[in-house]
Amino acid sequence: MRTIQLIFITLALGAGLLPAQDYDRTFEFHFDQQAIVVPKFGPKVEALPVLELLGAEARFSPAAGTYGVVYGEHTIQFAVDHKVLLVDGKLREAREVPSASPGGVAVSLTYLERWLLSPLGFHLEPIPRGYRIVRGSRFADPVSVRPVAADFGTTTTLVLSLNRDAAVEVEETEPGTITIHFDDATPQLDGSVPFRSGRVRSLTSNEQSVLVKLAPGIGLISWHPLETPPRVTIELGPARPTPTPAPARAPVVTSRGPQPVVIDPGHGGDDVGARSPAGVTEKEVTLAVARRLARVLESRGRAVRLTRDGDQGRALTDRTALANRLDATVFISLHANASTVASVAGAETYYMSLDGASDEAAAATADLENRAGLSSEDRSPLDLILWDLAQADVLNESSRLALAVQGRLNARLGLRDRGVKQAPFVVLTGATMPAILVEIGFLSNPSEAERLTAPENQQQLAEAVAAGIEDFLGR
Amino acid sequence: MNWRVALIALAAVAAVALLTWLLQGGKPPIEQAEVLDLVELPTPTPAPEQRVILLFTGGDGMLHPELRSVPLPDEVHERIRVVMRELLAGPRSAPRLSPLVPYQASLEAVFVDENGNAYVDLTAPPEPLSGSSTELMLAYGVVNSIILNCPEISAVQILFGGHEVETLTGHLDLSRPLVLNKRFIAAS
Repeated sequence: MRTIQLIFITLALGAGLLPAQDYDRTFEFHFDQQAIVVPKFGPKVEALPVLELLGAEARFSPAAGTYGVVYGEHTIQFAVDHKVLLVDGKLREAREVPSASPGGVAVSLTYLERWLLSPLGFHLEPIPRGYRIVRGSRFADPVSVRPVAADFGTTTTLVLSLNRDAAVEVEETEPGTITIHFDDATPQLDGSVPFRSGRVRSLTSNEQSVLVKLAPGIGLISWHPLETPPRVTIELGPARPTPTPAPARAPVVTSRGPQPVVIDPGHGGDDVGARSPAGVTEKEVTLAVARRLARVLESRGRAVRLTRDGDQGRALTDRTALANRLDATVFISLHANASTVASVAGAETYYMSLDGASDEAAAATADLENRAGLSSEDRSPLDLILWDLAQADVLNESSRLALAVQGRLNARLGLRDRGVKQAPFVVLTGATMPAILVEIGFLSNPSEAERLTAPENQQQLAEAVAAGIEDFLGR
Repeated sequence: MNWRVALIALAAVAAVALLTWLLQGGKPPIEQAEVLDLVELPTPTPAPEQRVILLFTGGDGMLHPELRSVPLPDEVHERIRVVMRELLAGPRSAPRLSPLVPYQASLEAVFVDENGNAYVDLTAPPEPLSGSSTELMLAYGVVNSIILNCPEISAVQILFGGHEVETLTGHLDLSRPLVLNKRFIAAS
């Protein structure tokens, strides 16, 4: 009987009952005492029969437009032509997409093993005409990594909270890059807590490690694996000079000097930002106003630094990092707005919002309080609570700065007052000083665009913002 | 004569079977799965009409509600799809209100996790968008409309072209789910 079934599929392929151009090959998949033949669809294999072989429930949900897989406590949702998928409730991004196929959905063997079998606790072992599905994930069990950072003076504590025990090693693999190696575990970064540190540029994870990119001049001081709950604390601070003589090189910050006002002309380089009906770009307008603002403040004895003084692109996080590194008094990000509605006009000022993050941040702080097992050389949990309070203070000060600047814009320029607002803007995230983003008007509004590009109006804008900063600093 | 034809056919089948068995290396043949199962489609049941609150951009650059009665299913994915379909179709009270998404977009996929986070994947913009106002209206128009109409959903992350994005126009942090934000809804 089995032989006849094989003859059937062979003859069916030959007779064109199954599309020969699609099913050019077949694979056998063996699991326990069962085996199936699964057609190969181009470079991919039909996924559903393999999952059904394991006893997983796999079906298409027309409502969601996704395939759902349920196996024990594990759930996977994936969709044709989409790299993103949900694995046990976590958003993941694969390197390739599933494809529609005669049997429903086809995936590459890599996708099948990495995203459909591994989360269920299986992996593939090659056999002569296919694969055996074996219990045990080839990819180590995932470990969720939730980063929280706290800046203290010249040092930063980075805490990676883990959802389970995992052996780790931390090393500075190259200047400015820290690698956290996980043995037998695949780290998965949990970005639910907004990350607030000007000394850490980015965190990324791969199969067995987390890479931490640091701001220039910052290095690894020490690290400690901790238990109950499992976590790793990493101390960061000014990079230690290398023991070998290095060629003379100008430091990024040549002099501490007085604390500067850091002005950030929005966008730059390839990122032109908004564009007026006449073709003037936001990056040009913000740079012009920023230069004028710098001159006004300098004429009043203020030290000033621009995050860019030309048409250069800058990562949003680098802009805030510069302000943090310089220990700026205030951080002013200048932007010109655009709306899909041409009539919208006016200036508005934003400061950071922690919407949706407050509870998470509080929970993270509570986690950090649970550090009773730390040795005396570790930082007190009180420090982190104080840091959280300091963040609340920074937000409060930011709101006062925003009100001062918006007030001057309204009074001097007679612009339509769009008010002071809060939003979780990337460029304000992680600032350790009062920080605002000023939208000086709408380039998408033809009459306002003319004003924004006129030098005399740019000067008035600069003077209004400067007056607001002075109101705040001179309080 | 017929018995001869039958005998030849039987011999041919036997020969093919023997050949296949030999090609297998003499191992026992394996089970053939039903590899071409048809997708199971649900029986369509008409959803009751309910009022939905949809947010669109007003002439003041704020979000304004538009009420609409549409068949609204209970199932959360379908519910999100209906809300998104209505949002992407644009406001009925144009030109007083304007669309949230300033390009021809469609909803590519909807994911919902067990924590009440929804992930909606929209067509990527054909060219870069600009302005924090554009970004805030699009993001909070979608996020607020979904949360206001789907009680199971507490936060929404918008994906574009199947990818997570840090930001759309260089301002708002879109790398994580956003919660309901009423600050951008105009006071009535």
